[in-house]
Amino acid sequence: MAQGTAVQPVSYEDTDPELSGRPQVPDDDAAPALQVQDLGVQYNLRFTRKTKLRTSFANMLHREKGDRRFWALRGASFTVRRGESVGVIGPNGAGKSTLLLVLAGIITPSEGVVEVDGHISTLLSLAAGFDQDLSGLDNIALAGALMGIPHETMVRITPEIIEFADIGPFIDAPLKTYSSGMRARLGFAIATAVDPDILLLDEVLQTGDEVFREKSRQRIISILTAAKAVVLVTHDMTWVTEFCTRAILIEDGRVTMDGAPEDVVRTHREHSAARRAARREAIERMRRGEIPIDTAATRRLEGPRKGKSGSQT
Amino acid sequence: MQIASDAPATFRSSARRPGTLELLSTAFREVMSRRRLIRYLVGAEIKKKGTDTVLGNVWWILDPLMSLMVYVFVMTIVFARKQEDFAVFLLAAMIPFKWFTQTLSDSVSAVVSQGQLIKQIQFPKIVLPIVVNGAGLVNLAFGFGVLFAVVLLWPGFADHLSYMILFVPLIAVIQFVLMLGLSMFVAALTVFYRDIGIIIGHVLRLLFYVAPILWTFESATGRGDLLRQELGEVGFSLLRYNPVAVLLEAYRTCIYGVTKGESWAPASPADLGWESLAIVLLISVVLLVLGTIVFKRLEPAFAKVL
Repeated sequence: MAQGTAVQPVSYEDTDPELSGRPQVPDDDAAPALQVQDLGVQYNLRFTRKTKLRTSFANMLHREKGDRRFWALRGASFTVRRGESVGVIGPNGAGKSTLLLVLAGIITPSEGVVEVDGHISTLLSLAAGFDQDLSGLDNIALAGALMGIPHETMVRITPEIIEFADIGPFIDAPLKTYSSGMRARLGFAIATAVDPDILLLDEVLQTGDEVFREKSRQRIISILTAAKAVVLVTHDMTWVTEFCTRAILIEDGRVTMDGAPEDVVRTHREHSAARRAARREAIERMRRGEIPIDTAATRRLEGPRKGKSGSQT
Repeated sequence: MQIASDAPATFRSSARRPGTLELLSTAFREVMSRRRLIRYLVGAEIKKKGTDTVLGNVWWILDPLMSLMVYVFVMTIVFARKQEDFAVFLLAAMIPFKWFTQTLSDSVSAVVSQGQLIKQIQFPKIVLPIVVNGAGLVNLAFGFGVLFAVVLLWPGFADHLSYMILFVPLIAVIQFVLMLGLSMFVAALTVFYRDIGIIIGHVLRLLFYVAPILWTFESATGRGDLLRQELGEVGFSLLRYNPVAVLLEAYRTCIYGVTKGESWAPASPADLGWESLAIVLLISVVLLVLGTIVFKRLEPAFAKVL
């Protein structure tokens, strides 16, 4: 996402007309799959920073030096109905990934409530996969065990996963030898093959090539037509307008807009442009010496820092 | 087509902190419903262990054999220890102790090493320390396999075999409960304080020397009386009646027999310290309950900190 993967528009003319085009917006009375109310997530940085000898002694002496807590997300309320595909967009570090982590039940809210009705399947990270030392095949079985799916079912759907992932002989090689595209395909194949009621995707789709992109599009649409819900976080606005029936804009840990994809994307673009202009303006003024130099602001302009500790985003 | 799953189909997560009893019942329910996951992870753990070495699974047998040879050499040649059938004397305590150290040091990384997994998918984290203990059982099985092979095959060692070995599984169960409880604490606290891993390493090394592995309390040549003079009653009791010492002495009584000076005599059930074993079991159960509570309390923060 830092490099902003360029995606050319694709034509879908020769695809099945049934499955092409935007997913249908479901009725308002469709049953809710996810209900989020006043959701807030607070992080405490006390345990995530790298401690140096000097700072650890300093910390021991005066514990409460500065508040190391911050809200990654606050006051979020929305409902996702069955058959809806919701795109979550917003600038880096706004709280999009945190939102997905809470929806998936991986982190618990610090305030508010999340209610989930249905089996969730997640694909939240491509950097990892499940176990780097195990083969792709073993990872499929591991994923099944983690999701609690019976062995017989996994045996039945494994050929389908392998076929969709299309990674050839690599299926028997350890996961650490995979390219990011292969990980994406395998991960997506597993996450969708288990027939989830709710699918959560975090920036995982843009790694794929055109063929994979089209394949995953078909699959997401068929998930939606089966009245299941999809929530995806992405920086690729074409995905949002193509795939989503609705979009949510998150800025600074707050849900600032919730509506039709085109409108939300337009607002997001306007806000991003405004932010960029404001920063450029600030840098320009620093250069002219009108305001003191703020290194944090310049760093932000030069590009987002991908936190190694992975504590925020 | 709806795919069945062990994972709950609906859930509600909120900021509410569940009570202690609720934590315990959740933990129990999670473990019972995810037995298949535990079995799978134990299998994967064992599968991975040998894959990077040339000899692979042969190490399961070779490893305890080689450490046996090292200690027999050091103790009988270098320290001129004259204990009769020293290999049996040593193995009877060393195999369970290796099980103990291996499991505890694996517990340090049980949760921490699974950071990526924890941030990717929701599953009951309590299975992780249980998996470490499960994989440890395989370690123990091979260790005892070597032990009994040596006892049966080496001339003269078979004399040590008696119906007393029937008590070994009972002692192992007590040790298993103790380790499971300690694992819960170690695995959960290491997430927040990585320092624990280093401390555990040193504690285990110290324990190797202060626990009756290379020596015993009972014999005339053993350290019993000397230690009592050196440490005083309190220090001696700590050394003699700490859970690890009690368990190791019990194993030795069952497998080697009762130490009489440099010689030995066949043991009877009366030679086992039943009272101490019962207390150790009680302590272990309490530790397991407390450890589970601590683990479940800290679990929600794992994904945020890792």
